[in-house]
Amino acid sequence: MICCKECLDLLHDYLDGTLSKEIEKSLEEHFEDCPPCISFLNTYKAASSACRQTLTQTEVPDEVAASLKSFIKKNIKNSP
Amino acid sequence: MTTDQKAEEEILARKLIEGDIEAFDRFVEIYQKKIYALAYNMTHNQMDAQDVTQEVFLTIFRKAHTFQGKSAFSSWVYRVALNAVYMKLRSRKKDQSISVEDAFPSFNGAGYHQEVIRDWSESAESLMFSNETKNVIQSAVDQLPEKEKIAFLLRDVEGLSTEEAAEALDLSVSAVKSRLHRARLILRKKLSGYFEEKQIPGVVK
Repeated sequence: MICCKECLDLLHDYLDGTLSKEIEKSLEEHFEDCPPCISFLNTYKAASSACRQTLTQTEVPDEVAASLKSFIKKNIKNSP
Repeated sequence: MTTDQKAEEEILARKLIEGDIEAFDRFVEIYQKKIYALAYNMTHNQMDAQDVTQEVFLTIFRKAHTFQGKSAFSSWVYRVALNAVYMKLRSRKKDQSISVEDAFPSFNGAGYHQEVIRDWSESAESLMFSNETKNVIQSAVDQLPEKEKIAFLLRDVEGLSTEEAAEALDLSVSAVKSRLHRARLILRKKLSGYFEEKQIPGVVK
């Protein structure tokens, strides 16, 4: 049976679904018997997801959009 | 990226190379928000993010003909954007000495978890919309070491595939994976302190 440390090294590929079936199965067997690893997996995923949810809210402010529009008009559309 | 999006990007790239100004409008429509968000998330400064976006527009317009189609068009655009971000950041180096080692959990001699791992993932969901949470998250990402931060922003925030991120960064797929993994570990560690403290009684596991 694989240990927690080995599980940690496999997390990225596990979430990407790129592990071999055999390794994926041993990892999931380990998870079944290891609450700390389940907590670790959940919080590893949650940290990434929380950051994604927050950072994808970055919008182009109206004044920046207006500046960019006039920048394009002046420097790109009117360029020779 | 879907097959349809890929096909549209190829057509767009070809038209840009031909100097089609309407294609440039479409390019702006697709990429303005993505480039601005990436620049803003790297610099945390509106003026800097605007400068970077303008720089990228100019470079794409002027150098579209140098795009050789060896990588995906989107990877090329991100590479141009990252160069502009690096130029901007070079002028304001700051101390980003966060130990990557600290982000790894501790294991005993047999390789099993040594510390108590609390699962705050469910309470995080309910705290996502507070301004305090947003500030904590933004500061955690901001403090990532630069290499890890870029891998994380491209892959987990912008949603590029590992292969596309590798092309944009001119790195191997395994290097992108390991930087992304380190970034996620650091963020987990940093956010754990905040979310554990905020954990709603009753959902403690």
